Amino acid sequence: MNPLRAISLACLATAALSARGEDLLDRADEALTFAGCNGQVGAHLSGLLDLEFYQFNGDPPGLLFADGHELWNSRLTLLFDAQIGSHVYLFAQARLDRGFDPSAGPLQARLEEYALRWTPGDDGRFNLQAGRFATIVGNYIERHQSWENPFINAPLIYEHMTELSDAGPAQNRSGVGAVAEESKYEYLPVIWGPSYATGLAVSGRLGKFDYAAELKNSALSSRPETWDAGDHGFAYPTLSARLGYRPDMAWALGMSASEGAYLTDQARAGLPSGTGLGDFKQYLLGQDLGFASGHWQLWAEVYEARFDVPHVGNADTLGYYLETKYKFTPNLFGALRWNQQFFDSVPKGNGGMDPSGNAIWRIDTAVTYRFTPRSQLKLQYSLQHEDQAEAALSHLVAAQFTLRF
Amino acid sequence: MKPFIALLLASTLAHADTVIEGHVELPKAKAAPVIAKRYEIVTKGGVLSTNPPAAIVYLEGGFAKPAVPPVRQIVQKDLVFQPSLLAVQTGTRVEFPNRDDTYHNVFSFSPAKRFDLGRHRPEDTPVPSQVFDKAGLITLRCDIHEHMRGIILVLDTPHFTISGTDGSFKLAGLPAGTYKLKVWLDSRTTLEKSVTLISGHTTQLNFP
Repeated sequence: MNPLRAISLACLATAALSARGEDLLDRADEALTFAGCNGQVGAHLSGLLDLEFYQFNGDPPGLLFADGHELWNSRLTLLFDAQIGSHVYLFAQARLDRGFDPSAGPLQARLEEYALRWTPGDDGRFNLQAGRFATIVGNYIERHQSWENPFINAPLIYEHMTELSDAGPAQNRSGVGAVAEESKYEYLPVIWGPSYATGLAVSGRLGKFDYAAELKNSALSSRPETWDAGDHGFAYPTLSARLGYRPDMAWALGMSASEGAYLTDQARAGLPSGTGLGDFKQYLLGQDLGFASGHWQLWAEVYEARFDVPHVGNADTLGYYLETKYKFTPNLFGALRWNQQFFDSVPKGNGGMDPSGNAIWRIDTAVTYRFTPRSQLKLQYSLQHEDQAEAALSHLVAAQFTLRF
Repeated sequence: MKPFIALLLASTLAHADTVIEGHVELPKAKAAPVIAKRYEIVTKGGVLSTNPPAAIVYLEGGFAKPAVPPVRQIVQKDLVFQPSLLAVQTGTRVEFPNRDDTYHNVFSFSPAKRFDLGRHRPEDTPVPSQVFDKAGLITLRCDIHEHMRGIILVLDTPHFTISGTDGSFKLAGLPAGTYKLKVWLDSRTTLEKSVTLISGHTTQLNFP
């Protein structure tokens, strides 16, 4: 079926069902909530069904991997939450989709997250969490799922492929390789989406301050296949931390830092003699801001990142975004996001300097209409400009229908 | 003057004595919701309390609206709506004070009343409120805490009550006449029986 027709049909069906559909899904929600041990154990299974369509000129942007200029993607996300007494919380997330190249691969099921959190006290001043889970860095993670995200894609800093690879020294640009579309997956963004790596985290709140620190098995920029401890091991851990400050309920400010090795085994053969994978690290400093009042919300993040590149030295980049969302009516909200990323120069072999990437900006606009409290349609348009790219200006039009159950 | 007061007293007593009482067989208790807090690095609170099932019992008929619109409250406290089930007469203003130390929101997509009060803090004044001027079922939700749910049943009658958790109910001060007594159990189930009320009498009625 034509993807746009499928999304339109889903919207029409939802609008027609409306109140009945809402009630039906509420009842399904109740049926998927379980209790035991005199109410001391509660578990809840929920999920998201996403139907997405992308159309773009030029190469697929960000973390989209596809042939041609259109992409149709469907995804089922199952979420499990369980509370055991007051002090133990468990969660897991599984996905069924075609992976990161929906145009080619077969349907695959993945366990993206699973973690156990222990909260010994009642005031939330200390939490200990172990498992595979999203990073504590920044403030984007809390809205990265399709229902909460006002956009269909992530901010640029979480999905724009830099010219840095984890597979070893690249060949162009003085050792930093220009991203070829066919091998885009071998390159790294500054933070790879939600970065569901494996490890331990501590977090808590002390008055107006909150803190979090995590020790994970791979760097923030690392690709998904390194997130699992079974596959990638824990030989080169990454340490990340965030300190937050809430002067009042409306404002949330935070500072994050991270340090960890980002190269994979593929890079080992090309390393300078006497060095190992652990000698080449990604360093990151971040600042984040959140504001909310009435129907208006605002978020911003700034990240400065440095990558130790074998045979090259430091490749530095700075990226930021400013995002706002306003709810016009109970059903309709709009969002606007300005993203920008800059790259510093790296030494060329002949003694000169070369930029380690093309400066880029992107503006994202989106509107979301919620048919019911459990179904919504999102439409997005993005305009992107990349210095020295073949097509300096590129466009993305996307639609996403989400059903939450 | 004295005969008038005596007449008024007699009339009031006679009204107050017209009563329906009985018992409703309630559905099974639902499991308490589980808070999804996976992406909150700071978490408080554990198992939420279960709301025992209850029924709304009301007398259907053509009754006058109150001269002064009533005001009721549903509090957002400990990440739940309290009470989670409220019956009001059309025209009632319901206030939604926030008694938690976090933002809350109240919204409804229900056909009888569609609204979104935005994010509000405990100290916000005036307390966010909404007038419910059309009869029907309103499902309340919080945009920030997806597990939160509350129900308001807006009725075109001043004669209603919420049953006890054992299913017992009592409606007093009713006018004499023939009416339909309805019992709302959930969004799918409303039971009804015809009843003739005689002034000063107590009528027993059980559901089913």
